[in-house]
Amino acid sequence: MVDLPEHLRKPFVNLLLAAADDKLFLGHRNSEWTGLGPILEEDIAFSSLAQDEMAHATALFEVASSLDGRSADQLAFGRRPEEYRCAAIVEVPDEFDWATAMGRRLFCNHFDVLRLARFAQSAYKPLADLARRLAAEQQVHLRHVNDWIVRLGTGTPESHRRIQQAIEALARIAPSLFEPVEQQDDLVAAGLYPGSDGQMYDAWRGAVEHLLGRAQVTARLEPPDPGDRGGRRGTHTVHLAPMLDEMCEVFRLEPDAAW
Amino acid sequence: MIDRQSILDVLRTIPDPEMPISIVDLGLIESVEVAAAGDSSVVRIVALPTFVGCPALEMIRRDIEHRLGAMPGIGAVEVQWVHDPPWSVDRISAAGRESLRVHGVTVPDRGGPPAAFGSANVGLTIGGAVPCPFCGSMRTRQESPFGPTRCRMIYYCDACRNSFEHLKRV
Repeated sequence: MVDLPEHLRKPFVNLLLAAADDKLFLGHRNSEWTGLGPILEEDIAFSSLAQDEMAHATALFEVASSLDGRSADQLAFGRRPEEYRCAAIVEVPDEFDWATAMGRRLFCNHFDVLRLARFAQSAYKPLADLARRLAAEQQVHLRHVNDWIVRLGTGTPESHRRIQQAIEALARIAPSLFEPVEQQDDLVAAGLYPGSDGQMYDAWRGAVEHLLGRAQVTARLEPPDPGDRGGRRGTHTVHLAPMLDEMCEVFRLEPDAAW
Repeated sequence: MIDRQSILDVLRTIPDPEMPISIVDLGLIESVEVAAAGDSSVVRIVALPTFVGCPALEMIRRDIEHRLGAMPGIGAVEVQWVHDPPWSVDRISAAGRESLRVHGVTVPDRGGPPAAFGSANVGLTIGGAVPCPFCGSMRTRQESPFGPTRCRMIYYCDACRNSFEHLKRV
């Protein structure tokens, strides 16, 4: 059956929650564009992307739930803010700025495919099987965002100025994606999250910079400071709590309701 | 004990909730196991979701349980969704492809390249030219890589001026 050492159960659940939380909040932020997309196709696209991310988050919460005991719904909506493990970049609002929404997805989607590729090699088979499926679906997101970044960067002077500005601002918090969860080294050593070392950051930075080069956009990306304590260890931006309050408004009315 | 074939025959009459194709032709059914339990049979269906967390999965599960549960001689029905092996558009049968085509939904060619995996793909378009399901012209273009459901994209045919849908290859 499934081989998961007992002392790694909690850190492994946190790793799953980090991935699920990133997707939950990125999906929520994307869903805010439903009805407000700049063109019809992008309205459909962002609604569809949000559905994908929410479905992926649900599937990851279910794997976490099988190890943690709390239901997937409780994990998604029933934790205190400091129990979430998402990165800062998915918490900040995009203020309905199209360039910011796209720029955020660029950094997050490139990180996500790298993380899913490593999950797909995990010694924990339920995660590996699921991640292979998620990675295949995620390719569509990647191509869509890459296409748009190049279009915006090489479009009009205004589109270039706006995507350049958004990328510069987001580049400061994008490395937050790479903050390790507690005991991540132990998870790597146990084969549960293989290959998630410095090479992963280099691969991400290389892919992002290559794409930005094609878009004629520049960004300064600094590796994450190991001393920084952020979302992966429960320290969040001021934006998380209000977003959670909004998302959980209905859930909290009747936490045990069957949907 | 009830035989696998009569179970498959019933499964073949269950349509996908979102497309005009049976769940068998769509390639969702991975295995059918029948075990004797007293006077009746216990049936276990292992099925593959097209997309992870597709909202139709619960409806399909209920349809299977309801339809098989109504067969004489079946005591219990269990439906299990698994991700291994992964579902792919290549599992759609020839009959299923034709049924979708008639309704304006095309399927990527069998054996085409799998989705790039695990590397940063910087391509700017998704897939190549797709023949129009209505007039056969190759003068078609992608209107949107997203569509009415997560598994479909929107295309337009410049020859007969119809829009159609194309399944994503995952």
